Amino acid sequence: MKIIEFETISSTNEKAKELAINGTLPWTVIVSEKQEIGHGTKGASWFSPKGGLYFSIILPQNKIQDSQIITILAASIVAKTIKKMFNLEPMIKMPNDVLINGKKFCGILTENIIVGDKLKFSVIGIGIDTNIDYFPEELKNIATSVKIETNKEVDNKLILNKIIEEIKNQFKTL
Amino acid sequence: MELKINIKGKEHVVNVEENGNEIKIVVNGKEHIFNSSTGIEEISFFPTSTSQSFSKEIKAGIAGIVSEISVKEGEEVKANKKLLTLSAMKMENEIHSEGDGKIKKVLVKVNDKVKEGDILIILE
Repeated sequence: MKIIEFETISSTNEKAKELAINGTLPWTVIVSEKQEIGHGTKGASWFSPKGGLYFSIILPQNKIQDSQIITILAASIVAKTIKKMFNLEPMIKMPNDVLINGKKFCGILTENIIVGDKLKFSVIGIGIDTNIDYFPEELKNIATSVKIETNKEVDNKLILNKIIEEIKNQFKTL
Repeated sequence: MELKINIKGKEHVVNVEENGNEIKIVVNGKEHIFNSSTGIEEISFFPTSTSQSFSKEIKAGIAGIVSEISVKEGEEVKANKKLLTLSAMKMENEIHSEGDGKIKKVLVKVNDKVKEGDILIILE
């Protein structure tokens, strides 16, 4: 698995799609310390300052119908990983958000590229508020971070590796 | 070294030849040469030929809501150009053109709900 790291990027999903269209192989991961225009579904913006974990994975060709469960699967993997590593109690808000104590700390955006009637590849983008100390006024009552919940700095690389490994394992069973 | 690779029932012939600092990989007769001056060439898994026939009716492969239309009627498009995006199950599904063509008709608008199999765009 190849991991391409950026200090800053417009959006990890946009970069992943651009690379995949130009031939970059599946299971390449794009990770950035911050995103300038991180976004969720229907273009909704995603607060992406330094400290969070923002990454996208180019997934191999699959069936369109199977791709519907990728988002739910990834949300479940994030929740399970955070629960195991930090003894927190995340909850999935179906199908693409993960919450702690009723506040969102993870959002997932799966984008499928369909050519003709075939799904050529999918890109799954995952944004996790890990080491975020504060949120802007409009988000502070609805968003949280792993650091706020645990009162300690967490290791983004370790979380990234565990989530990727689990997604790869689960993907084989789809 | 000649290899035969079977992918989903279709056999591909791959030849790998090494000559000094140069490696030549021939896939189904198409040569890809790798050496220190040309660097790494990435082989796209998208079709490069636009001469093959493809359906001119762009259909929804999944039920959803049209969230973006990226082309206009009368516009010339190349293969792999993004035509529109369908939102479904909180996923974005970008539908790209399979080949070159001209947009004859756009049958949907943003926020339209579509069913799997509905015709969205017609190319000519």
